[in-house]
Amino acid sequence: MVKTCRPLNLNEALKIINSEDTILLAGGTDLMVRHRSWSGTLPCFDKPVILIGHLAELIGIEIKDNKLLIGAGTTLAAIISHPGIPEYIKIPLIQMASPPIRNIATLGGNICNSSPAGDSLPMLYALNAVLHLQSLAGTSEVEVNNFITGPGQNIMKSDQLLTRVEIPLERCRIHYYRKVGARKANSISKVSFYAVADYEPNHLNWVRIALGAVAPTVVRSRAAENLMAGAGKDELAAIIPEVNRIYQDLIKPVDDIRSTRSYRQEISLRLLKHYLGRELMQ
Amino acid sequence: MDRISTPIKRFDFDDKISGQARYCADIILPGMLYARTVRADRPRARIGAIGIPSLPSGYYIIDHRDIPGKNTVPIVYDDQPFFARDTVNYIGEPLLLVVGPDKEVILQIIDSIRIDYLDLDPILSIEAADKRQDDFIFGDQPWFVEYHYSKGDLEQAIQNACHVVEDEYETGYQEQLYLEPQSVLAVFADEQITVYGSIQCPYYVEEALLQALGWPQDRIRVVQLPTGGGFGGKEEFPSILAVHAALASIKTGQPVQLVYDRQEDIICSTKRHPAVIKYKSYLDQEGHILGRRIECKTDAGAYAGLSSVVLQRLILSASGVYNIDNLEVNGRAYATNKMVSGAFRGFGGPQAFFAIEMHMENIARRLNLDPWQFRQKHFLHQDDTSSTGGILKNDIRLDQMAGEIDAMSGYRLKRHNQPQSPDKLFGIGCSFFFHGCGFTGSGERDLIKSRVRLRKYRDNKVQIFVSSTELGQGVLTTLRKIVAESLHIPIDQVVHYYPDTASSPDSGPTVASRTIMIVGRLLQDCCEDMKVRWEEPEFEVFRDYKYPVGLSWDKEKFVGHAYPEYSWGANVVEVEIDPLTCVVDVKGIYAVYDIGTPIDIKIVQGQIEGGLVQGLGYGCIEILNTAGGKVVQNNLTNYIIPTAMDCPPIKCKIIDDNPYPDGPFGARGLGELPVVGVAPALALAVQNAIGKKINKIPLTPEYIMELMHSADDD
Amino acid sequence: MQMTIEFELNGQPQVITTNPLRRLVDVLRDDFQLTGTKEGCGEGECGACGVLLDKQLVNSCLLPVGAIEGKKLITIEGFRNTKRFDIIQQSFAQAGSVQCGFCTPAMIMAAEALLSVNPNPSESDIRAGLSGNLCRCTGYGMIVEAILTASREGEGLW
Repeated sequence: MVKTCRPLNLNEALKIINSEDTILLAGGTDLMVRHRSWSGTLPCFDKPVILIGHLAELIGIEIKDNKLLIGAGTTLAAIISHPGIPEYIKIPLIQMASPPIRNIATLGGNICNSSPAGDSLPMLYALNAVLHLQSLAGTSEVEVNNFITGPGQNIMKSDQLLTRVEIPLERCRIHYYRKVGARKANSISKVSFYAVADYEPNHLNWVRIALGAVAPTVVRSRAAENLMAGAGKDELAAIIPEVNRIYQDLIKPVDDIRSTRSYRQEISLRLLKHYLGRELMQ
Repeated sequence: MDRISTPIKRFDFDDKISGQARYCADIILPGMLYARTVRADRPRARIGAIGIPSLPSGYYIIDHRDIPGKNTVPIVYDDQPFFARDTVNYIGEPLLLVVGPDKEVILQIIDSIRIDYLDLDPILSIEAADKRQDDFIFGDQPWFVEYHYSKGDLEQAIQNACHVVEDEYETGYQEQLYLEPQSVLAVFADEQITVYGSIQCPYYVEEALLQALGWPQDRIRVVQLPTGGGFGGKEEFPSILAVHAALASIKTGQPVQLVYDRQEDIICSTKRHPAVIKYKSYLDQEGHILGRRIECKTDAGAYAGLSSVVLQRLILSASGVYNIDNLEVNGRAYATNKMVSGAFRGFGGPQAFFAIEMHMENIARRLNLDPWQFRQKHFLHQDDTSSTGGILKNDIRLDQMAGEIDAMSGYRLKRHNQPQSPDKLFGIGCSFFFHGCGFTGSGERDLIKSRVRLRKYRDNKVQIFVSSTELGQGVLTTLRKIVAESLHIPIDQVVHYYPDTASSPDSGPTVASRTIMIVGRLLQDCCEDMKVRWEEPEFEVFRDYKYPVGLSWDKEKFVGHAYPEYSWGANVVEVEIDPLTCVVDVKGIYAVYDIGTPIDIKIVQGQIEGGLVQGLGYGCIEILNTAGGKVVQNNLTNYIIPTAMDCPPIKCKIIDDNPYPDGPFGARGLGELPVVGVAPALALAVQNAIGKKINKIPLTPEYIMELMHSADDD
Repeated sequence: MQMTIEFELNGQPQVITTNPLRRLVDVLRDDFQLTGTKEGCGEGECGACGVLLDKQLVNSCLLPVGAIEGKKLITIEGFRNTKRFDIIQQSFAQAGSVQCGFCTPAMIMAAEALLSVNPNPSESDIRAGLSGNLCRCTGYGMIVEAILTASREGEGLW
């Protein structure tokens, strides 16, 4: 039977993970399903489980120096109900899972799960979120796109813990989010599309686009975004075909239990085209 | 509104709302053991050696060798074992139970059990079964059963026809997904076995125990507990759990709880039959249907189960609510190495009405006729003959229902004047359908032989004794209403408990939309006898089912009255489709039903709205596939049913002036009808929106995208 | 592997010593015989195991009991003694919202969780609030109607 620890504070948690290979359990909404066994029996974990959902150091929301700092153990529900957080950050979270799951699932959990269909991820990619990792050796910061390396894979070492998510707050005039799931609530994305942009009446300052569930990790192209940044409203139409081409090469979906490769491929490109042609700067 | 229709608070309400109702898994008895089933993980194989570790004291293995009687589930054919003997025929087939006091230890034992298989070549689809030349699953043919019936002279009709329209439609699996998984509790004491559980048909379970144990009836007792939904899924299937748990309790001498996890339940329990239905309709110059040939195939899974009777209902419904003089109908239920297909609310009806309603619309489209008028022109009327030639002697209000649903939904206006928008595709579709109430043909007389009992006590209380189960459909309330109203006594004077075979006579299974119409009527008749003797202090009255005068049924040729009576329905569904994602948003459901007199309109509303949403799920989001014989969507994350956010507004009307003379207070059957007609109305709405012909359900966005790419719409 | 866990259950302080990875639903049902909390799927999809944890609706099948240290837990057995339950159950009775009853106790907890943050919900607020609780019998409409009625009848209670 595996050992379980409920450290009293972050430092104690860091000490434990420094000395052994463990599973960190914050909300548990994914881990408890993945490791479930027969009703009435213990879930089957193969490593010591460290409960971290209660750690005060990991919970809380702060806005400082034009940065939003969200503790990794903060629940999705707490983020959604926080009055200071802009709508464009909340919108993908509101459509995630169901109310009872959002009440215990944490933002850090969704990131560390690193699922291609993790619904907070396109938003975090597009907003240049930075993750704060901590170990006894010290803290490090990494951009979310450098953190996740593949489906369910990330660079976090066994002695590290994700403590905070930092989202730079910028002027953002328009946001657009589409989640395509099997039903209207509590479904896992087949395709998700997230975009934010800032523009003047005739001039696009910047746009960032991220797509989920269509490749091993979230798809975002800085090259495409750079092509569009600074473009005048009239110039945009000429750039769009090239932008489309760039994404076409990056979108590499798979057939799985939830959808087909061809559906994901086509719908994600349609959403992109729709966004560029009909939503952006309209 | 009739007095009987006025809603009252349900008698099972207080226990359920407060969490005090004790479902099977809520009951812990002293010394109770737990059981877990070890299942085959091969679709088709011969079982070699089974390596069992040495068991700690107090732990037991139960398998086919523990069956003192016959190792065959009594359903229709004698082909399914309670525990596999030498071969397995589907993934999930039970091999043995591990029983003991500690669940963790049971899991460890299961972990160290080794089973050697010799794999055999499995048959995994209807198509594969059709091609198979030998090595069949059942006898010397690829199907369990084949039926054929005809009416009139189709050959002559073909000679006279000017147009022929052919179609083929396909429907998928559906999981009942009752919220409470399968569960039973067996208690062996004083040489008697009692099985408590979440079950639809106590006497089916009793029969299974009789057969497996070979004991006399007085040593076997079955008691229904509060049951968290059934929908057909707890009709024939719980017999297997009951026998398993009973064998365990008899062997150990202790009470045994057998409760499935959701994943186990989805993998091994029965499903709605996938079907392929082909039509060939022959029409004259004016667009009148002269004749029709129908070929139906269902995927029955590894054992025959109830597939023969499901197939009967399917083929008897496959010509729809239309009066066709010349018909040839053929049906086969194919054996495949997959979990057993079985009873599910609608019982063949949803497949049949999906196909026929799509076909009727398609004929009209092909011949450039108005689909609404085309349907109406062929509607059945009173005194017409059904597809099996039985005279429909009661009033049929299809024209009235069509008028009502058109007025409610604005169907005819909207059908041809959908708004145009680049952001949305609008569509509207309709369906007309029936559901035969009670067992097919003369089954109520020949197979079921319903008996009910009513007892009056000295304090003027009257107790109902029937085997009809409360599954949530309200039987503990509606039957009380029928008795109280018939005897003119306050309803609190009527006593009615969950059925117990020790005291409840066999009033038949709680299936086939038969409880109110058949059992309710027998109780009403008992009340007539009781009224005459009311002054006696304490007495009982019985009634046995009597086949209505004027009906007849030839069960070999399928000629005569296929059902004692029918309930009727019309649905309209409106959709908006996002052309970007092909996701269907159902905007509204309209429904009109003729169920005779409603017994409690709130309970009726509950049946209707729940059935409509279950039908909606069937039509669009409930996807269940198998791969290599294994269920792909084997949990609730992947098998998706509608949430509160997926349900559109529902508008419903009941035809309230067409009581059924032979039903209690004029009531017909209702339970299954609402699930039958939704999918075709939905599919036709999608077809209307995208302008492409739909050939199958469920209507996934992936399928709709494919259709929208197809160059031609045929 | 045992841990001592302190929490409040239906208003009563509790101290238990058990494996902290046990699912809360098992502890409630097996140790406290609070069987109004049901298990319908064991994977957080059906919501039948819904209870209130510090007033928020959670799926007790997804929570290791070690995670409830210091928290306040309300199950249907605790909630059914309140005036708010009375209002909700009356409106459920009137609307005919109960059929098989298996989802019902958690639906009540979901209704309470919703009304306690949003005493005057719209129909779509209610549908969103119930979206983690599956019901296979009713099609939800009659449950939504009951909660609308409860919010009117229970004015001031939430």
